[in-house]
Amino acid sequence: MSVVLGRDLTKVYSLNGRQVAALRGVSLTIAAGEYLAITGPSGSGKSTLLQLLGGLDSPSSGRLELMGRAVEGLSDDELTDLRLRQVGFVFQRFHLMPVLTARENVELPLAEAGVGRRERGQRAAELLAYVGLADRSDHRATQLSGGEMQRVAIARALANRPALILADEPTGELDAATGAQILALFDQLHRDGVTLVVVTHDEHLAARVPRRVHLQDGRIDRDELATAR
Amino acid sequence: MTWALVVRSLVRHPVRTLLVIAGIAVAAALLLDMVMLAGGMERSFSRMLLSRGYQIRLSPKGTLPFDSEAMIPAITPILEDLRDDPDIEQVGPVLATSLHVSVGDSLLTVVGYGVDPAAQGLYELESGTDLAPGDSTGLVVSEPAAAAAGWRLGDTVRLQGRLDPQSARAAVERVVVVRGVVRFLYDARGQRSVGADFRLVQSLGRQPDVDPASMVMVKVRADDRVDAVAERIAAAHRTVEVNSVAALVVQFRSRLVYFQQLSLILATISLVVGVLLVGTILTITVSERIGEFAVLRGIGVRRARIVRLVMAEGAVLTGVGAIGGVVLGLVTARYLDAILTSFPGLPAAISFFVPERTAIARAAIAVFVAGVAASGYPAWLAARAPIAETLRADAE
Amino acid sequence: MSPFGVLALLSWLLPTAPTFQQLPGIAIERRLADRHGLSVGDTVLLTPKPDRPAARYLVEAVYQPKADPATALRGEYQIRFHLPELARLLDAPDRVDRIAVRGRPGVPPDSTAFRLNQPAFGYRAYPSELIAAESSRTFAVVSRFHRAIGVISIVASAVFLLCIMLLKVEERRLDAAVMRLIGISRATVFRAFVLEATFVAAVGSVLGVGLAAVAGALTNWVYRRRFETSLVFSHLSVEIVAFGVGLSLLLGVAVGALAARRLVTARPLALWRRAG
Ligand SMILES: Nc1ncnc2c1ncn2[C@@H]1O[C@H](COP(=O)(O)OP(=O)(O)OP(=O)(O)O)[C@@H](O)[C@H]1O
Ligand SMILES: [Mg+2]
Repeated sequence: MSVVLGRDLTKVYSLNGRQVAALRGVSLTIAAGEYLAITGPSGSGKSTLLQLLGGLDSPSSGRLELMGRAVEGLSDDELTDLRLRQVGFVFQRFHLMPVLTARENVELPLAEAGVGRRERGQRAAELLAYVGLADRSDHRATQLSGGEMQRVAIARALANRPALILADEPTGELDAATGAQILALFDQLHRDGVTLVVVTHDEHLAARVPRRVHLQDGRIDRDELATAR
Repeated sequence: MTWALVVRSLVRHPVRTLLVIAGIAVAAALLLDMVMLAGGMERSFSRMLLSRGYQIRLSPKGTLPFDSEAMIPAITPILEDLRDDPDIEQVGPVLATSLHVSVGDSLLTVVGYGVDPAAQGLYELESGTDLAPGDSTGLVVSEPAAAAAGWRLGDTVRLQGRLDPQSARAAVERVVVVRGVVRFLYDARGQRSVGADFRLVQSLGRQPDVDPASMVMVKVRADDRVDAVAERIAAAHRTVEVNSVAALVVQFRSRLVYFQQLSLILATISLVVGVLLVGTILTITVSERIGEFAVLRGIGVRRARIVRLVMAEGAVLTGVGAIGGVVLGLVTARYLDAILTSFPGLPAAISFFVPERTAIARAAIAVFVAGVAASGYPAWLAARAPIAETLRADAE
Repeated sequence: MSPFGVLALLSWLLPTAPTFQQLPGIAIERRLADRHGLSVGDTVLLTPKPDRPAARYLVEAVYQPKADPATALRGEYQIRFHLPELARLLDAPDRVDRIAVRGRPGVPPDSTAFRLNQPAFGYRAYPSELIAAESSRTFAVVSRFHRAIGVISIVASAVFLLCIMLLKVEERRLDAAVMRLIGISRATVFRAFVLEATFVAAVGSVLGVGLAAVAGALTNWVYRRRFETSLVFSHLSVEIVAFGVGLSLLLGVAVGALAARRLVTARPLALWRRAG
């Protein structure tokens, strides 16, 4: 079963009465376990596409199925639940809850999914260990470095064992070395069978990803599989 | 988790949070005071009138009790008639008149009350002994009177009545003995009063030949018969004004419209201030944190939960504020009461601010509900924010 | 209590049949005239007590009593008699409640009163000032009460103002960061924010005065109608306006300065970070 099935997706924003077409007909299928990079010049619609794939926004037209369910017919609560359990987001600017600790940030989606307190704590500890932050779990989000924050964000994205992880320029705010650590983590996720979609400007990153989708002016102009890795 | 988020978000801006709580506390205090003021006087008036269980007052036609020097003439047949009524338990006539005593070489004027010791609803004994029925040489005195005249229990007192203004000489004099110190329920603060047997005071007062009384207090056996008995007495004795305490309270209320309206207006204003305060502050903090709410929505937190988060912040603010407000309100009420009870001639037993559990609960709940309701708008703002757009704006 | 209070009025209006015998004249207050449709030339029956026989009077004048807060809130009406007529009606000839005395210019009222009190036959003399002070005690209490309530309201509104001004300045965190980063001096940023706070406080005060004027006018309108009097219930004096405006300006500027100081003393990058 494909995790994402998009047909002729468009997204039109109206800005001060003017129509801005961010996506002009994108069709994309992503199978379970794939690792995919979306590249393209600034303004080509990468973030917009990612938001549609994650159910953060809905397409202006076209058909989108996530985990086999048509997004169109979902109520807001159903879509929210889909994001909670099936999708994990990693943002360029981390977007952790500043008042919560690292562990609490990871526990948040678990609590929302109704996981019991004890199991929650256990799973958060495992995830923080997985991203290499076991010793930072009681630090407030604001007390962490950028790389650490991003790793907490990844742990949070993984909390409910989603079928799909979406990352929008996850290394954009990090230096090269820290970025490399994050990429290593993504590789590990890929090996562990997680479906990954990463938006990036980073040629380095794109080069190591098996499938590369290139956007230009709201359209896919290249969709290539790396022959070897 | 919800509470961690709520409490830490509030602690994030301690000055702001404390100011809001202080603001709500002051508004709640004012509201509580006004709720107490609105019902307090009436209740304390009714409590004062009913304090010895007499539910009906007979007074001279056209007046309220103690309203003037008017008197009911020919009281004895009326009293006899009332005592014959099977519904009536006790009948207590009262005559108030000016009496005088010599203290040193000056003349002290006191209010003299004539009562029937067997049925008096006028005072409560503080020390010494009460007048016994038929005791025609006993005197009970108020604390201020005792202090002014230097009386002690057992002292002999020459009571003088019907002072001639031309000669400053009394027409009658009776010798009595101080039996007890009492608190007259309807006296103003510091009023010098004495009580003695009804017939004795009649003989000392003006126009003894008309058999006068200032008032008759009637205790009805069953509370649900009060109105019927009052009606019956009024029909039988057209020369007197008959009022049940409930009816007097209604008249009293009409004289206090001012305070009622003032308290209504100020209560409304304080609620509005509370609502504005919570509403504005939460709206601002929510718009500061709108990105955080968008992230929460993005990672799968439902709208309803966001609403609950914001409203919980409002609830904590108003809850803590309301508790502070109750304390503050009780303190300020005592101060305000001290001001208002210094009205000249007001019975000392009247309070304007009566701290009752229902009033406190009502004010606290009103503030709380209003505050939580006021957080509805910011909660809606937070829950409604479009996720993708807000995140994008927040990243800029 | 004045005898007017006890006076029960039975306003049985006779049909305006001209009466030829000379009736004693009275003057009635406008409220009474309006309420019962009386006008000059009407006849009324008056009795001091319901069970006493009534006497007939001719309304000779309708007058507007001087607004007096002590009587305005009571429902009683006033009627003016010629003194002998009232004495006859009350069956109390040769009796008065009060005598007003005007001393010769230059003689202090205190000493006159003292001299009048020397023989003390059935009266006591008081200087008018003393009586005025005594009879305004009730209103003194009310006004102390109002002042106390006023203090509470001022505290409440001061807290409110503090909150708003604090937020108003904190809102500008990012602007402060930008201004500092592009090299504008602390003092200039500080001055800009204090100026802004002052402006907001000033505009707020002016609006507040307007609101107070409207609320006061409304209060007067309602209570004047209710009590049928020309008394002023709410009076927006210059001092009150000055106090209100002064206080809110002071608070506004003080809080603005306080919050602005916090902004300019923080490192610009810290501001940036917290604003982001
Ligand atoms: N909410 C919006 N309102 C109006 N226009 C928008 C909105 N969001 C995106 N756009 C426009 O849609 C187009 C695509 O934006 P998008 O953010 O998807 O580009 P991107 O490929 O992610 O660019 P970048 O690499 O700079 O992040 C841009 O022209 C952008 O200005
Ligand atoms: Mg982008």
